Amino acid sequence: MSIEKQEKRQGATLVAPALLWTLGFFVIPFAAMVMMSLAHLEGREIVQGHDLGNYLRIFTDPSLRRGIFVSLEITAVVTVISVLLAWPLAWIIATRVPARWRRMALLLAVLPFWTSYVVRSYSWALVLGEKGVVMNALVGLGLLAEPVQIMATRSATIIGFVHFFVMLLTLTIYSNLIQLSPNYARAAEDLGASKWQVIRLVILPLTLPGVMTGAFLTFVLCIGDYITPQILGGNNELTLPQLIMLQLGRRGDFPMASALSVVLMVIVTLAYAACARWLKMERV
Amino acid sequence: MKYLSWAYLVALFGFILLPVVTLVIFSFQDGRLPVPPFKGVTFEWYAEILTDRAMMEALGNSLIVALLSSLVALTLGFLAASGLARVVLPGSVVMRGLLIAPMTVSYLIIALGLLQMFNKVGIRPSLLATGIGHVVINLPLCFAILYAAIGEHQKSALKAARDLGAREWQVLWFVAAPMLTPALAAAFFLAFTFSWDEFIIAFLLTRFDVTLPVEIWSMLRSGLSPATNAVGSLVFLVSVIVVVALELTLFRKGSK
Amino acid sequence: MALKHTCSILAVTAGLTSALASAAQAEDLNALIWCDHADPELLQPFEEAHDVRVNVKEYEGTAAGLTLLEQSRPGDWDVMVIDAVDVGRAVERGLLAPLPVDQLATDSYFPEAVLADHTTVDGTTYAVTEKFGYNTIAYNKAAVDPADMASLDALWSGKYDGRIAIYDYYLPVLGLVGLEAGIDTADLGADTLETIREPLMKLNAASKQVSDVVGSQTALATGEVDVLIGGGEWLTAVLNAENPDLDWTIPEEGGLLWAQSLAIVEGTEKPELALEFIKYITSPEGQARLATSSCYWGMPANKAAGDVLTDEQKAILRWDDQPDYLSRAQLYPVPDADTDAAMQDLWTDMLQN
Repeated sequence: MSIEKQEKRQGATLVAPALLWTLGFFVIPFAAMVMMSLAHLEGREIVQGHDLGNYLRIFTDPSLRRGIFVSLEITAVVTVISVLLAWPLAWIIATRVPARWRRMALLLAVLPFWTSYVVRSYSWALVLGEKGVVMNALVGLGLLAEPVQIMATRSATIIGFVHFFVMLLTLTIYSNLIQLSPNYARAAEDLGASKWQVIRLVILPLTLPGVMTGAFLTFVLCIGDYITPQILGGNNELTLPQLIMLQLGRRGDFPMASALSVVLMVIVTLAYAACARWLKMERV
Repeated sequence: MKYLSWAYLVALFGFILLPVVTLVIFSFQDGRLPVPPFKGVTFEWYAEILTDRAMMEALGNSLIVALLSSLVALTLGFLAASGLARVVLPGSVVMRGLLIAPMTVSYLIIALGLLQMFNKVGIRPSLLATGIGHVVINLPLCFAILYAAIGEHQKSALKAARDLGAREWQVLWFVAAPMLTPALAAAFFLAFTFSWDEFIIAFLLTRFDVTLPVEIWSMLRSGLSPATNAVGSLVFLVSVIVVVALELTLFRKGSK
Repeated sequence: MALKHTCSILAVTAGLTSALASAAQAEDLNALIWCDHADPELLQPFEEAHDVRVNVKEYEGTAAGLTLLEQSRPGDWDVMVIDAVDVGRAVERGLLAPLPVDQLATDSYFPEAVLADHTTVDGTTYAVTEKFGYNTIAYNKAAVDPADMASLDALWSGKYDGRIAIYDYYLPVLGLVGLEAGIDTADLGADTLETIREPLMKLNAASKQVSDVVGSQTALATGEVDVLIGGGEWLTAVLNAENPDLDWTIPEEGGLLWAQSLAIVEGTEKPELALEFIKYITSPEGQARLATSSCYWGMPANKAAGDVLTDEQKAILRWDDQPDYLSRAQLYPVPDADTDAAMQDLWTDMLQN
């Protein structure tokens, strides 16, 4: 009994530093931010209060409200496209590429991870511009009569995002695929299933955890990102993070920035709740 | 289907590598603008950034912050994982949830919360503040990886060591750590990468001494130049060398 | 074995700590600035002459700069670059220290660029102007008819739809839209703001993007857009070598004069060093370097810089045309806090639509 108690005390001692860190630098700041979101700006003075004025404004002011929808739309499109592109890629690397080249192919597929994140968006801006490589090539090959505008539109933001998240999802789905025993596929084939049926009815469902984990990560990272829409979107519409940074950088309106952040947090939490049953965050 | 597969592979690789290849090519642009037409090869942009004091300091800052914050995150995560794997504490599930929670929160929110708290208690924005933020985002990662790595086999080995009278720190240092080396290395490597490349926390929580992503951002904001391509290419090159080196040494044995 | 590990970790940590410590030892001057002040060619001569290190932090927009100061502690900042028209706002909040202006060589200044009305509050001077220029129309003369650019109307005419970029700073662009609507910048207030909403939204609909300095430069230099509203010599001068077709003009409706000033921050522990820095920046040499700094060019407030600048540089700055320009340009709008918020809301609405 006393040994067990001692064990527990020692266990608790080991966990304590990490818990305290999380408490002090995550939970408390977050609480402070929620408090701040209830304050408001009077002139240039932050007045602490307990009103929901900022939240009311977020849902009544068309520009702020639209930010939520812009963010959700972009994130949804990015998540779906990325999954659709990444799954076949992961599957091809895991099953079609000869075993000795597999890690090499995977490494190549995620190579741009190691460019600086800020630079990655910037290089898309160079690629997608009217004088950029893509337009030059398309016009040069006669596929387009004249350049079309991609840069400084939502499409540019989406392309920049999809590029990053295809890499991320390829990784999560690949690691899920190679853990599957080939026996499943063989068994299904023996029972007379066609190749497509095997993929659709056997392999696809089995990779759902990998897909969902990756999709959730995509959702969280995408909806919270400031750099990509800021560099590629041409300021023609503003996402939630851009609105938050606008409140901070231009107006010093901490209360409104906090309220928008709380809204962002709620959205992510809802997304988490929606796919929680497929997620094993502890095993990422 | 076979040809289709290969065509798809090539197409996607093209998409994935296109911006990087363009970035690198135009870092050699002999002209002020890193867009076509390509005017010839020059190394002047590389010379410019390698002699840029602010850029080199930012590089050093990034290394220090990434190294120290990953070490702290790794240590805290390691202790917490071994603690929680050892005994079932009351509220274990809640504790695990709390430790993992920052992983599901946007960095921007973490940064904003810390910024406001630091303002209140009077901690100036600095590399230290940034480092603290980076530990917050990397602790869940380190904890999760290490917690997952401690299986039944490891648990019984640790228990045996304790039963033989080893002190707790001896158990951790001489038994647990060596046993978990691959997981520790993976966690450290990931944490280092995330810290190294993190922008928004570093942007909001630094003042004069900035990290590399923030310096690149301000370079980007102050004028279009192939020098930005050169920085990006250098970072890319160095990172790839490190990754390939790790792939060939550390992770080769561990992988299938 | 373990001992060896511990030792090596300790050694690394010790090495890093000492590296950090030594970097922090030299005397520092902390400056809150705009990007043109971050140019090493501008700062190095001062750093070497006084054996100090100038730490710079860029900020964007007066509101954000003031917030930064308010959240800092006394002594955190020594000098600050601020829009000359906003000096009053900062003084009102007690953020700036009086400036011994008699020690500065302002006799050789362009008279229109002194802006004493704005840098002086109740007879005390708090800031000195250092650089000025114009927010008007910048364009690519190979792609547009320069004659069209003589009037702001061209941007609303439909002829240049989809080829316009808007500079992403609300004060000058709202000022310009006001000029098009016949409102002087000084009269742009809460009551007149709504009248420019419609033309602003129309301008936005005709434009391709709203972008910061680099985005605007890129778009103009690569031909993605041909006209930039809010642009001026500060944008085209840097690109002159690359694309000499980039030009700018002040249309008949007028343009906006921007003027940045330098001030000592209240609570500084190094007032002498701060003053030395301001002396350096306002000296002919400092002025010439600031005028041609890497981030953006602009006219030096001190005419004496003309002796240091080359003829070529002066041509790009259009040194000889300044009297005409200065007579036609209006100052930035100077909104109170509420109007400022209303202007920013209007700007956000434009971005979001």
